[in-house]
Amino acid sequence: MHWLIWIAGTVVLVAAGVGATLLPQRRARALRRRTAWSTARAEIARATVSRDAAPVRVEEAERLLTRAELIAADRGGPDAAATTAEYARRADRLWREASGD
Amino acid sequence: MTDGPARVWFEWLRWGALGVAVVVLTIFLVVQGRATIDVSYGQSPSSADPVPEGEAGELSDATVPSVEEMTRMVADNQIVRLPGSIAHIDEDRVRAEIGGTDARILIAPPGLDEDERERVREVENATVRVLGTEVSGGLYQAVPDDFDGWRKRFATGDVTGSVTLLLRELRGERTEDDEDGEDDTIAWREPTAEEFGPVAADLRETGLHTAEGSTMDALPEAAATAFPDGDALYAVFPQQEADQPVPDYTTALAAEFPDRPIVVMYGSWVEYRGPYEEDFASVVTASIYGQLNDRLSKYDYPQSNVLHAYLNRVTDVRYAGLFDRPLPYQPFDPLRVTMPALPWIFAACVLVFLALSVRAVLRPVTRPRQFQQGHTAARLAGLTALAIEVSALTGRDGDTPLTRGLAALEGARKALNDKLPDQHVHTLLNQAEAELDDTARAVGRTDYRPNVYLQGRLA
Repeated sequence: MHWLIWIAGTVVLVAAGVGATLLPQRRARALRRRTAWSTARAEIARATVSRDAAPVRVEEAERLLTRAELIAADRGGPDAAATTAEYARRADRLWREASGD
Repeated sequence: MTDGPARVWFEWLRWGALGVAVVVLTIFLVVQGRATIDVSYGQSPSSADPVPEGEAGELSDATVPSVEEMTRMVADNQIVRLPGSIAHIDEDRVRAEIGGTDARILIAPPGLDEDERERVREVENATVRVLGTEVSGGLYQAVPDDFDGWRKRFATGDVTGSVTLLLRELRGERTEDDEDGEDDTIAWREPTAEEFGPVAADLRETGLHTAEGSTMDALPEAAATAFPDGDALYAVFPQQEADQPVPDYTTALAAEFPDRPIVVMYGSWVEYRGPYEEDFASVVTASIYGQLNDRLSKYDYPQSNVLHAYLNRVTDVRYAGLFDRPLPYQPFDPLRVTMPALPWIFAACVLVFLALSVRAVLRPVTRPRQFQQGHTAARLAGLTALAIEVSALTGRDGDTPLTRGLAALEGARKALNDKLPDQHVHTLLNQAEAELDDTARAVGRTDYRPNVYLQGRLA
């Protein structure tokens, strides 16, 4: 009977240790991902407003925004979100320059 | 993240529980590795290994010729005795048993090492081999199975009964009552006065008599624990002649020294006479010769080692409680008392660690949520109100930054609803604030600049 305690106890210890390590890690990763996408979406929205306000078409900015929207459509990890945000930010800057801001 | 004292305390408790659990588990495993089966009733002090392999002087100086030479010797003679042999066979009886068959017998000395024993086994024309007093042939080995048989084999080296039995078995002619028909008993005679005198004198003087030719100089240490009263008498004689009556010193000494433990040794055979004889003598003899029969017959142990093993066994039996004596005081052993509690300590530590781990996972971050979230939400509300107010004033100039600011505010609202980190929400709000600042400047209303407007609202 007593040896069951040792085996079950060891299993529980390992499980608790692994769980206590993995769960917060996974939760933190998900939070980082959602935050990155939130930033990316905000950048895209800003770039879209700047495009609508721009007096002329800017080919490169449109290409950048399209690419950003394509990446965003695929969803992905924080890295993809950062890339998306970067493209959108550059597109936004180009349109702002075209608007003379 | 701010750590309250309670949280720190819980973390210490959590990892402390884990540490204790690991230590307890380690103790348990280490104890498992060391655990021995101990069936002694009172921690008998007899040494654990009474006859250590190879170091007990069981190898003799005797050696055997080469396989070819032995094969030739066996081919020439029906019964071959190699020099140094101690086994005795009644040749007349054995030859009668062999009869017209071509059975041959090789008798080798005891105490051969592994190589030499292998050489003896490789003599293929020998029907029966006698190594020391071990009798084997074909797939069989003849072993005595009662005290008379053992006594005859170890006290006199007589293996005639085993050899004839084995010959009959190998011919396939052995019947059930053959064994009963064997006369294994030793012919005893009373020792003469000349023989008995010096023995009794020695015993009276020192308690130990070692006859000419015996292989024992001093009493083995086990004598002290086997007969702790110190009144035991030991008489040691070499192996006796098998074809002559053997002087029965045991009976004679028992008559001379009544009520004293008397240990008499003939060759490798130990006899006991004295107090508690019927309680333990047969138990000890059966266990010692049942266990060591194989080694005692094959090897050439000095008598002191055989006696040591015997006395050790007497000690074991004594400590098994058969002597009806109080046992010596046993010191308190903390490990023995703690061991049963270990699983429960372990289980408790596991539960504490599990509970605190679950608690830690369920509440990953403790932050002054209300204050910070309230602050963020207030800033979002203030900026939103400003945007709405300012939207009535904007013309073409302030339209774009206002729209961008509204987009940023929308993103911040979603982020706040998603419970994303405050820092992130504030980054988005900063962007919105910058855009609204641009808007206010574009419409030329400094009182609508966010820092001014928000301060006014909060004031």
